[in-house]
Amino acid sequence: MIRRLLVGITAGAIALAPAAVVPQAQAADPVVFTVGMLGDVDSLNPFTGILAEAYEIYQLQYATLMQPSSTDFTPAPGLAESWEESADGKTWTYTLRPDLVWSDGTPLTANDVVYTFNRILEGRYEKTNYGNYLRNVTSVTATDDRTVVVGVSAPSPIMERLAVYILPEHIWSAIDGKAVKSFANEPEGGQPLVGSGPFLVAERQDGQFIRLVANDTYYAGRPKVDELIFRIYNNPDALGQALKKGEVDFAEGLTADVFSTLEGVEGITTYAGAYSGFNELAFNMGAALSDGTPIGDGNPHIQDLAVRQAISHAIDRNQLVDKVLNGYGTPGSTIIPPLYSTLHVDPGTQNYDPALANQILDDAGYAMGPDGIRIGPDGVPMSYRFFVRSDSATSVKSGEYIKSYLAEIGIEANVKPVTEDALYEIIGRGEFDMFEWGWVVEPDPDYQLSTFTCAKRSYKDGDTIYADLSDSFYCNPEYDALYEAQSIETDQAARADIVKQMQQMIYDDVAYVVLYYYDNLEAYRSDRFTGFVGQPEGSGSLLFQYGTYSYANVQPVGADTGDATASPGATASPGATDQGNASGETASTSGGVSTGLIIGLVVAVIVIILLVVLLLRSRRSASADSRE
Amino acid sequence: MSLLQDVAVGEPDPIRAPRVSGSVLRTVGSKVLRAVITLGFVVVFNFFLFRMLPGDPIGLYTRGRNQDAEQLAELRRELDKPILEQFLTYIRNPFDPGIDSTRFSRPVWEMIGERIWPTFLLLGTAIILASIIGIWIGIRAGWKPGGRFDKISTGTTLTLYSMPEFWLGMMLLIVFSVGAFGIPGMFPVGGIVTPGVDTSTPAGWLNVLWHMVLPCTTLTLIYLADYSLVMRASLIDERKQEYLTLARAKGLRDVMVRQKHAVPNALLPTITLIFLSLGFVVTGAITVETVFSWPGLGLLTYEALRGPDIPLLQAIFLLFSIAVIGANLIAELLYVVIDPRVRS
Repeated sequence: MIRRLLVGITAGAIALAPAAVVPQAQAADPVVFTVGMLGDVDSLNPFTGILAEAYEIYQLQYATLMQPSSTDFTPAPGLAESWEESADGKTWTYTLRPDLVWSDGTPLTANDVVYTFNRILEGRYEKTNYGNYLRNVTSVTATDDRTVVVGVSAPSPIMERLAVYILPEHIWSAIDGKAVKSFANEPEGGQPLVGSGPFLVAERQDGQFIRLVANDTYYAGRPKVDELIFRIYNNPDALGQALKKGEVDFAEGLTADVFSTLEGVEGITTYAGAYSGFNELAFNMGAALSDGTPIGDGNPHIQDLAVRQAISHAIDRNQLVDKVLNGYGTPGSTIIPPLYSTLHVDPGTQNYDPALANQILDDAGYAMGPDGIRIGPDGVPMSYRFFVRSDSATSVKSGEYIKSYLAEIGIEANVKPVTEDALYEIIGRGEFDMFEWGWVVEPDPDYQLSTFTCAKRSYKDGDTIYADLSDSFYCNPEYDALYEAQSIETDQAARADIVKQMQQMIYDDVAYVVLYYYDNLEAYRSDRFTGFVGQPEGSGSLLFQYGTYSYANVQPVGADTGDATASPGATASPGATDQGNASGETASTSGGVSTGLIIGLVVAVIVIILLVVLLLRSRRSASADSRE
Repeated sequence: MSLLQDVAVGEPDPIRAPRVSGSVLRTVGSKVLRAVITLGFVVVFNFFLFRMLPGDPIGLYTRGRNQDAEQLAELRRELDKPILEQFLTYIRNPFDPGIDSTRFSRPVWEMIGERIWPTFLLLGTAIILASIIGIWIGIRAGWKPGGRFDKISTGTTLTLYSMPEFWLGMMLLIVFSVGAFGIPGMFPVGGIVTPGVDTSTPAGWLNVLWHMVLPCTTLTLIYLADYSLVMRASLIDERKQEYLTLARAKGLRDVMVRQKHAVPNALLPTITLIFLSLGFVVTGAITVETVFSWPGLGLLTYEALRGPDIPLLQAIFLLFSIAVIGANLIAELLYVVIDPRVRS
């Protein structure tokens, strides 16, 4: 009897719960857009943070002088409405938009820009994250409130791509060069941080969420949602479930299997956006220090162009995209992804062709041995160390496929899974033949191109050899000359031509076999929000872009354009219950509290009933026992 | 609650206040001394353990970032102090609030302070629930081994015990959070509190409680067998004891024999186990914290290991060692109190 009563009450509570969590839609409820992501921000201090999640917050909080456009990543106005290079290339003049103000009402002037730049140029700690953008800068002056004049030592194309967050001098001048190291830059006393971007950080709970509010003074107009919350999930499956339930409106950086389960779910749109990253099979092209001193123990076979060409022809890039990325990516070619349409060149000659690969090896004197492994002209079998990253499932999987591709042309790859930490050191010392890893390429190609210059090979500090940026040890004076030429070419079209030649050179010399360009997997509640802008539009990522296009444009479904007060709960759709849940979960007003309260009470009641039942049962059985 | 009291207070004899004698003091003193020595060893060992980890943290962090070699060398020099100098700084005060995490640039003890309470709350509640329910199951099952209750409960708890934590958590999450099989989703998918809710209000506490239901249930179900099986086994041992025959011969009812004579003696190993497991309250349950995105110490450990963030790892492991050593000490001391045989 008691048991039946318990079942009845529990069932009642369950029936009650969904009804209780649908809050009253009120016109005053803020529109909250919630993003679920898989990693926390390491620091809100833009001089400290290094993770992608942190930079996503920085660019929402602090505007930059310019930002890569949403169409093709060419420089587009930010705080600066225009900029100009002097005829000799030694001076850049930036003109700020008129009437800029910080979110606290203080005018944002050229002095803030000068302050920020000088802080980076003069501060030891501040230099770490942004110094490279300003490496040619010799002087920074404000000629009036809206004009910044910057002197440079040489023509510098990077001056059109300054991804430097302009900081409010009236706030940051109180934090000196020593205090900045441990400065958390977190909001205090309920006041949002002073900023100039579309949203302002209002609250942060470590490991849980970051809440931002719309900035009324944003130069491109107040965003169409009132609050933006980033919630941190530590597990891709949980993130997918949270989107299904409606706890988040947008899921960022999903894994392929979770992404697949969300496809076709009502109210959810999945979006595989082109991304700026690639993974490669890299070769040890003759490890050496930057001064040319040989290091390491790479197999000399690998330095033979024929061997690398044969390997490139042996790899089925299409199959890797299908099997390793579940189809969410495109086959690789050069070191600048096709996402950057103005820079990427399509060389397209090293097709999958095992027969041709075998032919190349035969012609180059690598004869097939009795056990299916070819023997080099030096009498040494073609058996190479091939490192993959044990921390990455895709790396391990790629490794298996590549091993089998190479086996088909008589090359033995001894797959060695190691952690990224360990691999980084192994590469730096040149103690490898091949490895699998990847890069994320910035809109400005300089950094990526520099990784193949002679100067970026390993270096010695004391007795220890440290890795620099080069991990293929490619060294070609012709390439280095082109690198120098592009680094001082401020005409974008002319620079693009040089960059294309350089890509072609790396491709033809096969320093890397670029395996694939992977997609960024995102999914969102299209029954609730709309207005996302991809970068590039139509094919690129919706969030985690070089810019804040989606955040500035996202709006509730059904809302009149520009009407930011509409409640998401007002939109009728089959997912109405989910919506109710979501508003209850994210809204900071009555909805969330009363939902929590009711559910909490229900739980408490169930627990108490359970305890009472247990107690009664133990009493009853006790008396039953005593009758025995 | 009253269950435990029933069984624990039932028999006054073993729980009578211990007479403080020289031998007891000596026993206690030697146990405390041993704990302190262990702790000292751990403090030193901790330092060298993490220095043996491979990896160049600076290089790894900055791979793919816009920094030139001189900047890297400069950063490295800041970290590269002679090992002896590092050790002396560390040993002077391992709890120095000035120790900063290399990854988060924040004081490590402050970060740990933020993360310890969610873990404490979750694991503490789960262990208390699991031990109460587990002991109750163990008593019922052990008193009539082979009976229907024993068969069902032992089978169930063992099945739960052998389930992977993350899998059970994920199943509960799918069924009770998102909703499946006609059961509506009632509980949140993750986190400890709804963003924007003030945790200093009663409504905020209920919100935390609501978020805690699923992770706590997962852990309780998994830990249940720990306690029920030990309790069951020791009660089965007690059943064979002759003093129970004597008790029955006195004409005591079966329930009296069980509650007043058998259970208090059978409880000893279980109580030790509970206190030992309290040491793990702070270490967190990394898999469950991951599934339910619970911002606890387990997750912080994972983040620190990814670095590797040596100052943070060092602090976390020091804390874990203290917790485990402390819990062991308490369990040993408690034994002196509750088991007269140890005293004599």
